[in-house]
Amino acid sequence: MKDLNLINQLTYYFTHNGLYVLQQFNRTFLMAIYGVLLGAIVGIPIGIWISQHRKLSPAVIGIANVIQTVPSLAMLSILMLGLGLGENTVIVTVFLYSLLPIIKNTYTGMLSVNPHVLDAGKGMGMTRWQVLTTIRIPLSLAVMIAGIRNALVVGIGITVIGSFIGAGGLGDIIIRGTNATNGGAIILAGALPTALMAIITDLVLSFVEKRLTPKTSSAR
Amino acid sequence: MKKHLRKWLTGMLVALAIIPLSSCSLPGLSGSGQNTVRIAAQNTTEQQIMAYLIQGMIQHYTKLDTTIINNLGSGNVSFNALKNGDADISAIRFYGTDLTTILNEKFQRDPEKVVQTVTTDFQERYQMTYFKTYGFADTYAWMVRPEFAKKHHLETVSDLQKLAPQMTVGIDQIWQNRQGDGYPAFQKTYGYQFGTVHPMQTGLLYDALAANKMDAILGYSTDGRVASYHLKLLKDDRNFFPPYDASAVTTNAVLKAHPELTKVLNRLTGQISLKTMQQLNYQVDDQLEEPQAVANNFLKKNHYFSGGH
Repeated sequence: MKDLNLINQLTYYFTHNGLYVLQQFNRTFLMAIYGVLLGAIVGIPIGIWISQHRKLSPAVIGIANVIQTVPSLAMLSILMLGLGLGENTVIVTVFLYSLLPIIKNTYTGMLSVNPHVLDAGKGMGMTRWQVLTTIRIPLSLAVMIAGIRNALVVGIGITVIGSFIGAGGLGDIIIRGTNATNGGAIILAGALPTALMAIITDLVLSFVEKRLTPKTSSAR
Repeated sequence: MKKHLRKWLTGMLVALAIIPLSSCSLPGLSGSGQNTVRIAAQNTTEQQIMAYLIQGMIQHYTKLDTTIINNLGSGNVSFNALKNGDADISAIRFYGTDLTTILNEKFQRDPEKVVQTVTTDFQERYQMTYFKTYGFADTYAWMVRPEFAKKHHLETVSDLQKLAPQMTVGIDQIWQNRQGDGYPAFQKTYGYQFGTVHPMQTGLLYDALAANKMDAILGYSTDGRVASYHLKLLKDDRNFFPPYDASAVTTNAVLKAHPELTKVLNRLTGQISLKTMQQLNYQVDDQLEEPQAVANNFLKKNHYFSGGH
């Protein structure tokens, strides 16, 4: 093995452990997705809510900000004390970290809707609920997606660290590489798919974001 | 009134999102659900191979889900994972280590006594079942190059006595001053000391021996490099090193919930020799294969040990 160069070692590794890498890839991705999904389920309503009650926004965003400042390894360890080892702790951690970008973006998105459009809606006799569901939310979807995109990229990073508390995933491969004597190829075998995952999700969501960005009347 | 209701609803939503997470598993991730057996593995190659071996066996013989809690830092961490209910099976535990570190008992050398004490104490104090050994022990062992052994007719550690004063040996840093089974006690038991002793990092020892820089080293018996360099292990004929036989340990709770596990784990008893473990470690450490792939190939080759027991 030692006489092969790094690229050859890497190809050798992938041909022999492809299935394993795929499983771990899947696992990492799912953990990140579940965490962010929960973050969206909780964060978007909170964001909408504080945009309607703007006095509360500094407090809510402040709390989310504080959560964000805790280093991820520390957060994992703190939650581990309560939730134990394994993937659920990682999902909760990702959930907590995804709150800030999602709440903040939802909030900003809701407020950045053109006031003239809102006035027009009100002028047409729409109820507050109708204004919210037919004007505000559709027009701020793109900004919300940007928040989710942010959260997901951060989430993938956290999930990899989650290997330290036994959650498995691509981080396992990286850690094993750092323990092995000639682990360069193994480290890359874990790090490359992780980076790829983050880049691809980022690209896909940025595409979705673009599609959802409302076109201004002048552009039409 | 309406505002209060909203507050409550948001609070409930947050709580609802978190509570189920601690009790059930999400699709695609076999987590801590009712029928999931959680196997704890430490961050060494050997532990991970054994964890995947157990996982493969459970998947083959039962319908239970399994998950591996990987990369635990030490034997203590993995023990606590079992104790706190975060894991059900510890992939490898060593009688010798558990005797002094977990049970805080006095250091003992008689293998049978150690096995007896550890097994009953784990059962009584912690409600955990110690299975019979897999068949290998990861212990300190003196090793020499095969040519060197042939030339001087070396079989046991006692055989080194005459050569010792002229020998250059490499040892683990911790071992030099360790109480109980360290170098001072070794000199007393075997009655000789080595000419030059180099304490160094364990990982470097094997290469130093292979490169002719040392005459003998004190390494770990299951290390993959023993197989790759064809090193000769000398028999510890005075039973100086305490027995570090490797076994699986489970909580009694999981055996009660899934009685079929006992049979599955017993199939592995005595099936993995020191040579086999060295080979498996070698494949992972030197051949760029993942513990999971190595474990699965090994199980297939041995037909999941369907013949034994």
